[in-house]
Amino acid sequence: MKPLAHLSAVLALAALLSACQEELTTPVDCPELCPGTSLTVRDTVLTANLDGDSTYTGYVGGNEIVALLVSSGIDAGESRAFMTFPRRSDSVLVDGQQLFLTVDSIAVSVQLLSRDTLIPGVKLYIHRITPDLDTTATLADLDAQMTTGTLVDSATVLDTLKRGAVRMVLKGSDITKLTAAEADSGRIGIGIRIGAGLSTGVRLGSINSSLGGPTIITWGTVAIADTSKVRQSATALAEKTNYVIETPPVPADRIWLGGKSGARSILRFTLPAYLRDSTTVLRATLELTPGIALRGLRNDSPTLEIRGLLADLGAKSPALVNVAGSVLIPTGQTEVLPADVRDIVVTWFTANAPPPTSLILAILPEGASFSRPEFLSSRAGSGSPRLRITYAIPSRPGHP
Amino acid sequence: MRPLGPLLLALAAASPLRGQSSQFGVRGLGIPLRPISVRATGTGGSFGLFDAESSLNPASFGSLINVQANFQTVQNWRRSVSPTGTATGQDNRYPGISIAGPIGGTRLNAAVSMSGYADRNFVLASRDTLILRGVPVETFDTLSSRGGVSDLRVAVAWRQSAAVQWGAALHLISGSNRLDSRRYFGDPAYVGAQERATVSYLGFGASVGVMARIGTRVTLAGVVRFDEKLRVERDTSRLGNTDLPTTIGGGVRIRVSEHLLVAGSGLYRNWSVADADLVAQGGIGSNNTTEWSGGIEYFGDSRRPLRLPIRLGFRHARLPFPVQRGVDVSETGVSLGSSVRFVNDRAGLDLAVERIWRKGGPGFTESATLLTVGFAIRP
Repeated sequence: MKPLAHLSAVLALAALLSACQEELTTPVDCPELCPGTSLTVRDTVLTANLDGDSTYTGYVGGNEIVALLVSSGIDAGESRAFMTFPRRSDSVLVDGQQLFLTVDSIAVSVQLLSRDTLIPGVKLYIHRITPDLDTTATLADLDAQMTTGTLVDSATVLDTLKRGAVRMVLKGSDITKLTAAEADSGRIGIGIRIGAGLSTGVRLGSINSSLGGPTIITWGTVAIADTSKVRQSATALAEKTNYVIETPPVPADRIWLGGKSGARSILRFTLPAYLRDSTTVLRATLELTPGIALRGLRNDSPTLEIRGLLADLGAKSPALVNVAGSVLIPTGQTEVLPADVRDIVVTWFTANAPPPTSLILAILPEGASFSRPEFLSSRAGSGSPRLRITYAIPSRPGHP
Repeated sequence: MRPLGPLLLALAAASPLRGQSSQFGVRGLGIPLRPISVRATGTGGSFGLFDAESSLNPASFGSLINVQANFQTVQNWRRSVSPTGTATGQDNRYPGISIAGPIGGTRLNAAVSMSGYADRNFVLASRDTLILRGVPVETFDTLSSRGGVSDLRVAVAWRQSAAVQWGAALHLISGSNRLDSRRYFGDPAYVGAQERATVSYLGFGASVGVMARIGTRVTLAGVVRFDEKLRVERDTSRLGNTDLPTTIGGGVRIRVSEHLLVAGSGLYRNWSVADADLVAQGGIGSNNTTEWSGGIEYFGDSRRPLRLPIRLGFRHARLPFPVQRGVDVSETGVSLGSSVRFVNDRAGLDLAVERIWRKGGPGFTESATLLTVGFAIRP
């Protein structure tokens, strides 16, 4: 039997070697040779349900703002930043001893997050204001306090600086401008406005910013024998930061996004039966028509984020977290803004318990952008939000 | 069984049935396959009605005195030309396996075989331009089909005498096509779409055959096969029925000398009975087919005819499923083959090489080279 075993092994190898290559593709001119038809592709436009779109505000609290807006003369609105620093100790800890710090210089430092890089000579003006301002403060309140008399100093933003620290240093007698007052319980209030000779703005880091918020750094000397430890410093972080912005009102036929409170809008659509029946969505584009040229800070475009809804509960609708569409919103845009939302729309075709056929719109960073886009709503007549869906109808292959 | 282990292992590991991939196998049930052995293939199919290893004539294995098993594999290299362009391709399939042998103490022989009935493996690629959202967008479509229809035969042959043997067989015809249609877009803003379907087939048939030697040199053979309607389903829904043809075939084999056999055969199938069914299912239709073949087998050692014989053959056939209605598809081929046996003729290797030319309608031609390898084992 041994020769037969060897032979069968050889034959097995031959069988494997012969079971090798496959390349079947043939170019054809359909439908001449193709059995059946190819997938039929169609395009349809769905308009947002009349009066079905809503704008809701209040998604960003005053203590959640990640950037402080400071502007002058731009169409997105006038804005000023303000902040409060806590009472700081008059001594520092050196080698286990609490030693009095004799101050000789003080610096106020803020983090620049973004700016219009085409505007040169930008200056930040620091004013000493009351530390008691809160979220009810208005632009008029701040401007009333930010006078020549309260000006501490100004800091020039280098024309080459796009992002990073901007620092203003006081020495000599000027340090009294930032000396804590007992009337304010030792706290220091600071307001910031901008000037450049041209309309512009900047975004500065708040206490929630990843780059860090405003700080006051104090340098001085202490009485200690070790001369290498005589020079000491103390840093105080702002305990509260905020800004005020005065924006024009939004007409009733528009939906809008952003703003200080992070407005969001919900668009609602109705899927026709012919779409629900076995179609494959190839592309879905949300088209939004700006009500006016999109306002904001030049070269600082925010992102329009679009999500589906898990349930439509109005302002408190939970959004689908796993699918989203996004698109940059160029400042000044007047053309229709298209955004790819296919990943969201395909969830509407889920067989079991599909989510509502609604979209929720927001801009990022929320509550921290000059942009406050206004789009025509379903009440606007023409130019209302629409969803352009390109879909394929099954051809059911299997023709002989 | 131990010596067969590696072979069985290899057969299990090898790919499943794969296809002919002819552009003329796209329509209807695909391209018809011939239930003949490698030996018969080497003679253009002309010895198929007389060959014990072929599944064409249920009488042909009536003279076997030992059990024997056969398996074959085909590698196909082709070049297809259509008005759209030219393509070269290659593929591999396993068109047949059979086991046959005597029923002890009787004049009966029995056989079980599995062979291809029709093959529908193909991938069609096309491109087009659609106007989407007012912009021309290039599209790329592929339609692929995997599978075909197989013929499981159970047959019995009866040796009436040393010169005459009869046979009868039952056929189970079944199989499926797994279809995959895809469309891609030149613009990446559009995602591709895909659609799948499985078309399955089930039918039954019966055949009877005879082989009779006249004198010492001439042997005649004939076969008649009736196949009923093929039940066709797409996924879980009924698509319809496809009537299958009746096959009538006959042939003659002449022993010219102790070293030379000459044979010729013809087969007719009335595939037109399927025409209305195929059209109703969205197809183009079908035509009756005829197949003529002739060939020789020359062996140097007449006592061991399977030791390096030389086989030559020619055939011409009309294929049943046109690419355009009213157009004939024909196939012409020449073939060459031989065999070698080992271990006291207990195992063997058969080889056949075919060169085939097909044409069917304006601009549609195809040429292919088929290498068929068969393994025979006599336990």
